[in-house]
Amino acid sequence: MESNIEKARKRFTVPACSISEESGVVTVRMEMPGVGKQGLEVKVEGNALSVFGERPGPEPRGRYLLRERRAENYQKNFTLDDSIVHDDVDASLVDGILTLKLKVKEAAKPRRIEIT
Amino acid sequence: MDVVKWERPAPLDLWEAFDGLRGELDRVFDPFKGPDIAGLFDRTTAPAVDVVETEDEYLVLADLPGVDRRDLEVSVTGSLLTIKGDKKEERDSDKKKIFRKEAWIGSFGRTIDLPSQIDAGKIVAELRDGVLTVKIAKREEARTKLIPVAVK
Repeated sequence: MESNIEKARKRFTVPACSISEESGVVTVRMEMPGVGKQGLEVKVEGNALSVFGERPGPEPRGRYLLRERRAENYQKNFTLDDSIVHDDVDASLVDGILTLKLKVKEAAKPRRIEIT
Repeated sequence: MDVVKWERPAPLDLWEAFDGLRGELDRVFDPFKGPDIAGLFDRTTAPAVDVVETEDEYLVLADLPGVDRRDLEVSVTGSLLTIKGDKKEERDSDKKKIFRKEAWIGSFGRTIDLPSQIDAGKIVAELRDGVLTVKIAKREEARTKLIPVAVK
C-alpha cells in the first residue's frame, strides 16, 4: 500500500492545453510556466505521447504571505491517432509555453478529386 | 484522446464528505486561500501569485506563460505593487480547426498590498520561462539584525 505522503509526491498539474489543426499540421500548445528546456521531457513510445515538465527547484525559502501558484510538476499524456506521423514531432519551448507540431500522414489528408 | 471507462468513486466514503465541507469552510475563513485552478480565466483575469518574505527582501512570483515583456507593466505606488499586461495570441486564421482551447488570452491585472517596510527604490523584476519574479528589498531598519552579545 502506498502511503498518503508517497501519493502526494506523485501529484502533478495538468497544463492548460490548446489543440488546433491547419493544413496537415496539428499544433498542441501547453502552458507550463517555470519550466525550462533542461526540465522538459517529450517522449513518443508506440502511440503514446507523454510530456513531463519539472519545476525548477528549490523553492524560495521564507514566510509565504500568499501562495496561489502550483508547486507540482507538469504531466500530460496523449494517445496518438493512426493518422499522425509518430516519429516526426517538433517541440519548442518559449516563455513557458510548449508548442508541439505533429504532422498528419499523407494518406489521412483529405484528397480532392478532380471532376473531368 | 482515448475513451476510458468511467470508474464510479467509492460508494460510501464518509470522510470524503467531511473533507469537502472542511475545504468549503477554509475557503470562507481564509482570505489568502485562492481558487484551486491557476488559470487566469478562473480568477477573473488575475494571475496566480506567490508572495514570500525572506530575511531581507520580499519576493513576488507570478505565473505568466506566453506574456511578452513588452506587454507587461510592473509598478509600485507606496506599498502597492501592480502587475498588469496583455496576453496575446497569434492570429487565428479562418482555416484553422480548433479542437480544444484551455488557455486564456486577454488583459490582466493584479495589485498586491505589501508591508510598508519595502524599499520602493530597490525593485528588480525578471521574466523568465513564463514566470515573473519581482524582488523588493526591505528597508534597512526593517531587516532582522543580529547583535552579538558578549558574555563575560
